[in-house]
Amino acid sequence: MRNKLFKRATLAVVCAGGMLAGATAQAADWLSLQGTEPAGSAARAKVWGFIQPQYTDIGDTKLKAGPWGGQDAIFNVVRPDNDTDSTFHLRRARLGVRGTGFPLDSNVNYFLLAEFGNNGITKSDGGSVKLTDASVTLNHLKKYTRLRVGQFKTPGSEDGLQAIHVHNYNNFSLAADQLLLERFRDWDGEANCIVPDPAAPLPTAQDAAWYLDCSGGNGVNGSVGAYRDIGLQLFNTFRIADGPGVNPWEVSYAFMVGNGNGIDRGDNDDNREYYYYLSAGQVFGGKGPRRQDWKVYGWYEDGKRSILDTSNIAGTGGLPPVDDTPDFANFSEKDFDRDRWGIGGTYRKGKYRLYGEYIWADGMIANGTDGGAVPGSVSNPVAAATSGVVSTANTLTDNEAEGWYLDAGYLVLPNLELDVRYDKLERGTEGNRALQRDFERWTIGAQYFFNKKSRFTLNYEFRDIDAPDGNATAKEVVDSVDDVLTAQLLIIF
Amino acid sequence: MHVSRKYPAWVNLANIVALLGIALFATVAGAADDKPFAEQKVVLQISDNDPSKQTLILNVANNMIKHYGSDKVDVEIVAFGPGVRLMFDDNVNKGRISGLDSNGVRFYACGNTLKKMTKALGKQPVLNPHAKHGGGGIVRILELTSQGYTLVKP
Repeated sequence: MRNKLFKRATLAVVCAGGMLAGATAQAADWLSLQGTEPAGSAARAKVWGFIQPQYTDIGDTKLKAGPWGGQDAIFNVVRPDNDTDSTFHLRRARLGVRGTGFPLDSNVNYFLLAEFGNNGITKSDGGSVKLTDASVTLNHLKKYTRLRVGQFKTPGSEDGLQAIHVHNYNNFSLAADQLLLERFRDWDGEANCIVPDPAAPLPTAQDAAWYLDCSGGNGVNGSVGAYRDIGLQLFNTFRIADGPGVNPWEVSYAFMVGNGNGIDRGDNDDNREYYYYLSAGQVFGGKGPRRQDWKVYGWYEDGKRSILDTSNIAGTGGLPPVDDTPDFANFSEKDFDRDRWGIGGTYRKGKYRLYGEYIWADGMIANGTDGGAVPGSVSNPVAAATSGVVSTANTLTDNEAEGWYLDAGYLVLPNLELDVRYDKLERGTEGNRALQRDFERWTIGAQYFFNKKSRFTLNYEFRDIDAPDGNATAKEVVDSVDDVLTAQLLIIF
Repeated sequence: MHVSRKYPAWVNLANIVALLGIALFATVAGAADDKPFAEQKVVLQISDNDPSKQTLILNVANNMIKHYGSDKVDVEIVAFGPGVRLMFDDNVNKGRISGLDSNGVRFYACGNTLKKMTKALGKQPVLNPHAKHGGGGIVRILELTSQGYTLVKP
C-alpha cells in the first residue's frame, strides 16, 4: 500500500512537471548539485576534491561477557581496519572532475569522482583507489526531466544523499549507517564457523574450503554501497512562483532503476533496485549546499538481494560449539526482499538549522556479529578440548528495523556552529525478539569554519545499546559499548 | 473643390526635413539616447571562458547601477569569443540578466562568434531575448568607445 501510494505520487509529479513554469532550478537541491552543471557557465572540466584527515578515539572497553569475553568489541574499534580503538586516519580523500565536456552544449554534463582514503569503499580488497561516481547527465528535455546514467548517489535519505563534505557530523545517523549504508556479504552468517583443528587454530591447507568461507568472519565482499548504485535516473527540480520579494517553491522528483549491487562492480542477479523520491520546499535565500531553505521529502527503495542462505543448518547439524563446520556446498542462494523508505525534513534559516528523518527497513537487516566480536576472531575455548567459534557478521534476511534522528545546529558566530543530534535505531523488531537490539545516541558537536572551503569538526557521541529481550549475557555484551570522540579537518579544493 | 492650406508649403517642407533629420540623428547617435541623463557611460567586455567572469561582470554592472542609479549610468555588456556563452538563453544567470535589463543594461553578442558557434554546434545557439547581436563584438566596442564609453574588462 505504501509502495503504491508513493509510486503514484511520484508519477503525478512527473506528469505535472510539464505543466509547471518551465523554470528549472540549478539550486541547492542535492539531485541537481551532484548531477548537473550550471547551464551556459560550466567549465569543460573542473577539477575538484576534498580531504578529511580524522582522529577517532573510542573507549577501550573489551567485551564484558559471552564467548568472546575479554576481546575487542566490533562497536569499539575504528573501521574499516578493526585493529584499534584510537587512531589518526585518512577518513576520506577524493579527487574528481566535472563539467560539460563541450561547453557550447549545456545539455550534456558529466561527474567523475574517486576515493583515495582508508574506509569501507577502498578497504575491501586490501586498499585501493575506487571510483565512487562516474555519470553522464542529459538535459535535452530539461523542461520536464533530466536523465542521469552511470554510478552515482541514489535518491533517498538526506543523510546519505547530501554531499559528504558538507555533512554536519563526522558519522552518519544510526539508521542511515546500519540500514542504508549497505555492506555486501557472501552469506547470512547463520551457520557457525568452527575452527576445524583446535590444536592449530589457523586452518590448514586441507581446510581450504572452510578458510574461503569462514576465516574472514563473513566480512564484506567488496566496497560498501556508499549510498550509490549503478543505473539510470530520471529527475528534475522545478521552481515555482519565483519573483522579487517572493520565496520561491521548489519541487523535486527522482526515479531511478539500478543494479542494487553496490559500486564498482556489475550485477550478480536479475533483480533490479527501484528508487523513488519526492520533495517540496521553499527557498529563503542564498545558494549552494548551505542555502537558507526548508524542505520536506519522502523516498522509497524497493529491491531484492541474492545471498547464500545458511539458516537451514540441519544439514550440518550446526549448533555451537562442538558440531561440524558448515557445509557451504549444501547451502543455496536465495532472493530476499530489501525495502527501505523514509520521510524527513530540513530547515535552515539565519542562525538556526533543524533536520529530522524517520527510516524504516524490511529485509536484509545487518545484524552485527557473533558475540559482538570483530569478525574472524576466534571465541575463547569453553574447555581445553573444545574448538573455538569464529565470529561472523550476520544478516537478518527476513526481519525489520526502524530508526530516526533529530538534529539541530546554531551559529554562535559566523564561523562557529554548535550542533546536537539525537538518534535511535531499533533493529530486528520482528520474529525472534531475542535478536532485537536498540541503539540510542546523543552527539554533540562543533564546526569551526576557517573559510567556506575548510573547517574543523569535533564530535562526541554518548552511545547506548540495549538487548530488550536478550538474555543476561547479551545485555552484558551490549553494555560494553563506549562513547566516541572524533576530530576531523576538512579542506575542499 | 476647396483645398485648405493652413500653412505655407515651405513650412510643411521644413517639418518633413526636420523629422528626417531627427530620425537620422537617432540612428547615428545610437545607444547614447537610451539614457540621456547618464553621467557615466561604460562598456563591459567579456571574452573569457571562465565561469567566474560571468558572475563578476554581472556584479560589476549591478554595483554601478546601485551606486549611480539606473538613470545616471549607461552600461552595455559586449560579449565575444567564449564570453558569448553568457548570452545563451539557458545560461544559469538568465534571471540576473533580466533584472539588469529592466534597469537599462544592454547586452550585445558578437555576430562573428555566433557564426562560429553555429558551425561548431551544428545549429544556431538560442540567445537570451534581451541580448542583441549584429557585427563583430570588437567593432561594437570601438563604436561605443568612440561615443565616449569607457571600456572596462573585469
